Amino acid sequence: MSKGARRSAWRRVLEPFQVFLIDAGLIGLGILMVELLVISFSGRRSPTGFLLPAEEILDLLHYGRAALGAALAALVWGRAEGGVAISPGAALIRGVDAAGPPWTRTLRGWFSFLLAEATFFTGWLVTEVQLMQFLTQFDKAQDMVRGLLNPSSAVLHQGLVLLVQTIFLAFMATAFAIPMAFVIAFMAARNLTRGTFWSRSLYTFTRTVMNLTRAVEPLVWALIFISWVGIGPFAGVLALWLHSIAALTKLYSEQIENIDTGPVDAITATGGSMLQVMRYGVVPQVIPPFLSFTIYRWDINVRMSTIIGFVGGGGIGYILKPRVDLGQWGEVGTLVLLIAGTVWAMDILSAKIREKIV
Amino acid sequence: MSETNIAIRVEHVTTIFPGPVRALDDLSLEVKRGEFLVVIGLSGSGKSTLLRCINRLQDPTEGRIWIFGEEMTGAKGNQLRKLRASIGMIFQQFNLVKRHSVMTNVLSGALSRTSLFRSLTMRFSPDEVRRAQACLDRVGLGDRGGSRADALSGGQQQRVAVARALMQDPKLFLADEPVASLDPALRHSVMRHLEVLNREEGLTVVCALHDVDLIQRYATRLIGLRDGRLVYEGEPQGFNAHTFKEIYGEEAEVASGLAWI
Repeated sequence: MSKGARRSAWRRVLEPFQVFLIDAGLIGLGILMVELLVISFSGRRSPTGFLLPAEEILDLLHYGRAALGAALAALVWGRAEGGVAISPGAALIRGVDAAGPPWTRTLRGWFSFLLAEATFFTGWLVTEVQLMQFLTQFDKAQDMVRGLLNPSSAVLHQGLVLLVQTIFLAFMATAFAIPMAFVIAFMAARNLTRGTFWSRSLYTFTRTVMNLTRAVEPLVWALIFISWVGIGPFAGVLALWLHSIAALTKLYSEQIENIDTGPVDAITATGGSMLQVMRYGVVPQVIPPFLSFTIYRWDINVRMSTIIGFVGGGGIGYILKPRVDLGQWGEVGTLVLLIAGTVWAMDILSAKIREKIV
Repeated sequence: MSETNIAIRVEHVTTIFPGPVRALDDLSLEVKRGEFLVVIGLSGSGKSTLLRCINRLQDPTEGRIWIFGEEMTGAKGNQLRKLRASIGMIFQQFNLVKRHSVMTNVLSGALSRTSLFRSLTMRFSPDEVRRAQACLDRVGLGDRGGSRADALSGGQQQRVAVARALMQDPKLFLADEPVASLDPALRHSVMRHLEVLNREEGLTVVCALHDVDLIQRYATRLIGLRDGRLVYEGEPQGFNAHTFKEIYGEEAEVASGLAWI
């Protein structure tokens, strides 16, 4: 009871700040996007005579003034009462009456609508969308497409050899990841770590580390491991291994969280110890989905291992990158076809195996 | 009456779930050795919580519980596991390990006295396997040891669960609506085993039930729970439509001698 009361007291103190932050953020975003649109349509040119590119416009924006203006506007708007004038932040934090006026009749509705429109046009400008070039300049890519459609046999032998390496690279990364992910998943499952302060801390720790590991792309991990163990397939194995541990831990632990608690209760009731409860109450339930996830992960790893060679991580990507740089499109075509064939075959294979298991 | 004649003593037990919901509200009761005590009450009246508190699948918020003179509340680690092993429990949903064989399911009743290595590798001693076979024979499933647990019918699965509990060599049997998810025709096939254990081997049984005819056939004593409080206590013979309404509320009806709530 007291815990709930304390939480709601905290919420009362925090609420105005939350509302202010959301409002100021949204208004500030709106001001900056409008300024960007104004500058780009004003036809201002850089000293070289060209229209300003997006990054220069972004550099010109008045961020400080926008923040100040947004803060003031948010202060004023946050004080508004009633369904029509209520600010987006207040609506989000305090909730809005479901039977309130439709969005076309509220200030917040129009603001959100204009913000969404501005976001689209700003995105168009910032990513420098060039529809005309896309529609009229296909001939510039003709050479490349012709090369891809006429694969050369010069690189076929080397490509096949490295393809075998690619598949094994993915396999080893998956195989190394399974036992570690299996153990860590039990520490990252909410329903098994509720007991004591230490088990809850363990849960938070493993979840955080795994999420951070997963957030870093395998290509980046490959760069790290290349400087660690040198260029070659092993660096790629390590990169995919680490990423696979994090990904499998997440999939495994979610599966553990979804088990039927009945057998766990039953084994606990027989006087089983914690490890015995895991072995008899949890493991039998999670083995089939674990297998399915693992094969799925191997499938993903094969995909990733085809490009991990781009940075020096071994596999077929290692010979693909220089040929792209040199414009040897015929050989690139051969390698791309090999990769596509492998990924397609793995896709079918993994789907078939998983079908059999579940 | 001496302490050894009392199988379960529950003293001022209160269990509060987040919400907060008072599943048990200052409940006190005693169960004598050899009794077949039936607990009745609506869903949410606290029957399950009471059973789960007795073997500490659920920790009571307040109060104390003794099993044959040993305190259950406050027991930890090995002591708690030893006490739990002396209490067999069967559940409404059987709670077998579906992908394991019937035999392995029965053997898992012996986990508390099996070494960690043997249990993790599932290599039970020949002695335990013989005992498990004997337990299966007793529930009439001696020839089904090799089947996968989920290949059996509901009634058979519940009998496997009884065999698993027997494997613990328990002094006390808890049954949480053991026949509620079975065909009415199969209910006696499970209840009869509990009856034999109770009458012939003097095992104390605490069983949550709903059916009036089962109560009158099997119970030696009856308690009724409502909102986590004891609202009825008496002999099954004294149980009639009037007391039924007292426990289940005015809306409840006894339909042709059978009441399923």
